[in-house]
Amino acid sequence: MNWRKAKIFLLTVLALSLIPATRFYQIDEPLLRLLRGSHHVDPLALHLSGEFVENNLGTEQNGDGSVTVRMIGQQYLFVPHCILVPAGVPVHLRITSADIVHSLTLNGTDYVVKTLPGTVSVAELQFSRVGEYKTVCREFCGAGHYAMRSGFKVVPRDQFPALRADERGNCAVQ
Amino acid sequence: MRCNKRLRSSRRNLALFVVLATALGSFVLLASDTAPERVPSFVAWTPENIAVASSGDAFRGSLLAKRCEHCHGVEGFSQMASTPNLAGMNRLAIWKQLQDFRAHKRRSQVMESIAESLSSRDVVDVVSFFAELPVFSDPQDNRVFPGMQPGAMHATIASHLVTFGDGERGIPPCQACHGPVAYKIGVPPLANQNGDYVLNQLEAFADGSRANDINLPMRTIAGLLSEDERKALAEYYGAGLGLQPAGASGTK
Repeated sequence: MNWRKAKIFLLTVLALSLIPATRFYQIDEPLLRLLRGSHHVDPLALHLSGEFVENNLGTEQNGDGSVTVRMIGQQYLFVPHCILVPAGVPVHLRITSADIVHSLTLNGTDYVVKTLPGTVSVAELQFSRVGEYKTVCREFCGAGHYAMRSGFKVVPRDQFPALRADERGNCAVQ
Repeated sequence: MRCNKRLRSSRRNLALFVVLATALGSFVLLASDTAPERVPSFVAWTPENIAVASSGDAFRGSLLAKRCEHCHGVEGFSQMASTPNLAGMNRLAIWKQLQDFRAHKRRSQVMESIAESLSSRDVVDVVSFFAELPVFSDPQDNRVFPGMQPGAMHATIASHLVTFGDGERGIPPCQACHGPVAYKIGVPPLANQNGDYVLNQLEAFADGSRANDINLPMRTIAGLLSEDERKALAEYYGAGLGLQPAGASGTK
């Protein structure tokens, strides 16, 4: 009798544990949003206000020597198209999508940053080699997917110029 | 006496403190990131905006569009090569451009004042009229429209860019957004566009004098194209070769 009760109890626990296992996005997403702050951005109104307005895209120099790179993935471009970053410095990449799912990969590395509409994807990079890195979209996103390529231009740390606010996305500065 | 002096000095200190605090505060405010946000266009493709832009009355628009006939043509096909053809144009595309002209986000001396004089309902109705004009004219029609004839070299360059883009440089194919293969939202079809107009807009995007594209796609792509490629694309579209997918039209 007791064993039967225990069996019923164990099965109930097992069945209930299926709920967080299958509906994790309904449980831990609101929880994480509560704990870590909201990462939500409106993909239709990126250009109107907030972090991803067009003069805020590109490389921003932080006080501690690191840089923050903000990008938008959209059909069929990553903007800014070419990004200037210093070598040997932490690069905080913040990227979102204006339409559908894209995936930013750095050629020659195993970095894949999924780009989702509505959320900001965050990645930590550090370029040790100077040179040009190609970035390619790895998630099929439509008729122009295969041409969705852009790049990072990595320059030595001492050659990295002090960027004005309107030069952030510009590889031609130097 | 001494007490009075102390009071006076403390007052002076207070005044000094207030002045310093104000100066420091304003310095901190100025030194913080004060770059103003540059907004390319106030239009966002929300369901509400799409519903508004699609809700026009074409008949009322046809009366209002008498003002547009002089430049954009009676049936939406312009006789001037640098003026866009509007017949059968995507209604969201015309609506967005008129909104941008009204907000001075796209510059044109003529169109800014005309768009300002229209009410928001007028804009929607005119848009509806042009969007519903037929693209293909009567075969009996013998009017002459400005057209271009691309040279063999330009036709090759342009048809390659339209079909495949340039993967090496990261230029997506034109037909993936401007049709006929696929359309992005609010993007004008270029199949029946005037060549000079296409060229002017590509050059304006490249040098930044036109900057109303949402999230910089056209400014980026036009900047990546060479001058010769821009001309080739303008000739290609000006000759009406954008009607079919470029791979199938046999213009190689």
